[in-house]
Amino acid sequence: MKFKKLASLFVAAAMSLSMVACSSSSSSEEETIKIGILFSETGSTAVVEKTMTNATIMAFDEINAAGGINGVMIEYVYEDYASDPATATEKIKKLIQQDEVVATVGCYTSASRQATLATLEEENSLLVYPTYTEGEEVHPNVIYVGCMPNQQATDYIPWILENVGTKVFLIGSDYVFPQTCNSQAAELIEMYGGEVVGEEYVDLDQTDFSTIIAKIEESGADVIYSSIVGDSNTSFYKDFQQYGLDVEEVPICSIAVDESNLQAIGEEYAEGHYASMPYFSSLDTEASIEFVEKYNELYDDGTVVTVLTESAYSSAYLLAAALEKVEDPTDTDALIDAFAGVEFDAPQGLIQVDEENHCTWVYSRFAQIVDGEFDIIYSSDEALRPEPWPSLLYPEYAETNFMPDWDDPLCYPQ
Amino acid sequence: MDILSLIVNGLNQSAILLIAALGLIVIYGYMNVINMAHGSMIMVGAFVGFVLIDSFNFNFGFALISVFVICALLGIVLEKVIIKKLYSKPTETILATYAISLIFVEIARMNYPISQSMPMPIQGYIEIGNVIIPRYNIFVISFAIFLVVLSLFLFNKTTFGKKLRAINQNRAMAECLGINTASVDTITFAYGSGLAGIAGCVIAPSTGVYYDMGASYLTESFMTVVVGGLQSFIGVVLSSTIIAQGKILLASQSSETWAKIIVFLIIIVIIRIKPEGLFTKERR
Repeated sequence: MKFKKLASLFVAAAMSLSMVACSSSSSSEEETIKIGILFSETGSTAVVEKTMTNATIMAFDEINAAGGINGVMIEYVYEDYASDPATATEKIKKLIQQDEVVATVGCYTSASRQATLATLEEENSLLVYPTYTEGEEVHPNVIYVGCMPNQQATDYIPWILENVGTKVFLIGSDYVFPQTCNSQAAELIEMYGGEVVGEEYVDLDQTDFSTIIAKIEESGADVIYSSIVGDSNTSFYKDFQQYGLDVEEVPICSIAVDESNLQAIGEEYAEGHYASMPYFSSLDTEASIEFVEKYNELYDDGTVVTVLTESAYSSAYLLAAALEKVEDPTDTDALIDAFAGVEFDAPQGLIQVDEENHCTWVYSRFAQIVDGEFDIIYSSDEALRPEPWPSLLYPEYAETNFMPDWDDPLCYPQ
Repeated sequence: MDILSLIVNGLNQSAILLIAALGLIVIYGYMNVINMAHGSMIMVGAFVGFVLIDSFNFNFGFALISVFVICALLGIVLEKVIIKKLYSKPTETILATYAISLIFVEIARMNYPISQSMPMPIQGYIEIGNVIIPRYNIFVISFAIFLVVLSLFLFNKTTFGKKLRAINQNRAMAECLGINTASVDTITFAYGSGLAGIAGCVIAPSTGVYYDMGASYLTESFMTVVVGGLQSFIGVVLSSTIIAQGKILLASQSSETWAKIIVFLIIIVIIRIKPEGLFTKERR
């Protein structure tokens, strides 16, 4: 009995050791540039992050195949933060101190990003963060590649008011990203002569929307602006139809539904609703088609290409472009400076890191869902300027690159 | 807001809660197994149903029956291999069933990393006055009633039910009288597992099928069963109605978040005043 227990302990220890050993990737004798990849393989957000890991690795492999960065190969080190912010803190420390990476591409949730900030600052390292986010944060050691709320909403809302409806019901999941986005939307709606007739927030795992639907009906809304995130979208779109709402009369205009949700919602329930994102995998350009085809060829693991996949891919390329501009990749200050104005011809189109505020110029697109696909009805002519502190809500920052001064404590959670 | 339509919607939510909790009354209430795998068994039921319908073109009714059988068989295996060794060791049971749930969830995640869509078997809605009732909800409510009646019959009117209650009251004495307690345990666990599976299959058309869908139902089921009284089907019918109707009516007056907070507070008060639950049979 005792022996059995000992043996099982030994096996467990051996397993965890071998896992540690597995986590670092290809190493070689030659000089390389080490870059960290920090996403989750396990835990609640692992599914979404899997496609981001895939895309980042795909990009680095492509860059290496094309001759690396000024002839030096990239060596990436992957770490799994298990969807847990506290683990993200540990893992970013490990990447910087032990693996001595020059920069890291990673983090999905805002909570995980914020968990890395103190370490990034202390060690003066760099994080390239791909997820679309609620803004109102810029950290000197972070480059934000995902879109800011203003880039999703400024073209979308006037279009909605003109073409879909003017009495808007705002709905979202109950946390900071949807609430910030919706408060900006409310400003825009008022500015363009629309009216907010109701506002509701639901749990992330909400499965019953009957009361919400009743409230929407009662409000007399003719359009729903939704920032509901994740799997509860399935119940929302299904209940919408089950409880007798008509997509012709009051369609849902979402800012947080992507290709991965569509499959779950089901074609017939998603039909006719709208969504806004910088990128849809149905984008009919050569770069986009090639990107999607290559991804699907490489990764047959049940994941689908979404805006996050594209953004993670672009993050890797933007980092490579900035690294090409510096003489010494380990000089973080020079690397951060090199990001200003750096461009990449991404699957979504030409994107560029802002000269000043560390966020990225991305496109504004919206689409109607037709036969289970995003049928793109609008693409901005060029990438839009990111406003981490949207001028609508914070006119005082409009003159200073839409952000407080870099040494202002308001810039990021201290 | 139309109070009548709120109550009708609340009935549907009560029915879902009730179906989700039924398996737990059997396993937790009658067998005293704190089954942390209940939620993942609901998830397994949803996936089995999804695969049968999506890949094998089963119709929904036939899929429901098959899900019950498959999950019950899975329950038999679990009981014989793991749970059986752990009766009267509650802590170990919690660990073991939690481990089982992790294994199920991870297997599901490996095969279906993103949420899948289960087609709605009964579409459309009927309108009575200005109350809109989805046809599927009518099915869910009737099905919940059917399952409760079936379980009541099984546990109160059959020999098997008598044996089960005898074991529950005094295991040693029941054994002395020649009741094969081991086989009664196995069948009971299988029945509970089958019910959990059915719950998943019934819930899936409206929520979609995803690997961590069981988690929220696990807590809600435990809550419903504890409030209702561990071994009382009628008590659980009542508690699921109170919880779901309370949530819906409160949400219509305030917000979804406040509704949950207030309902949880009410539950705490109920448990504080009547720790044995609303309906508990007198015991000697």
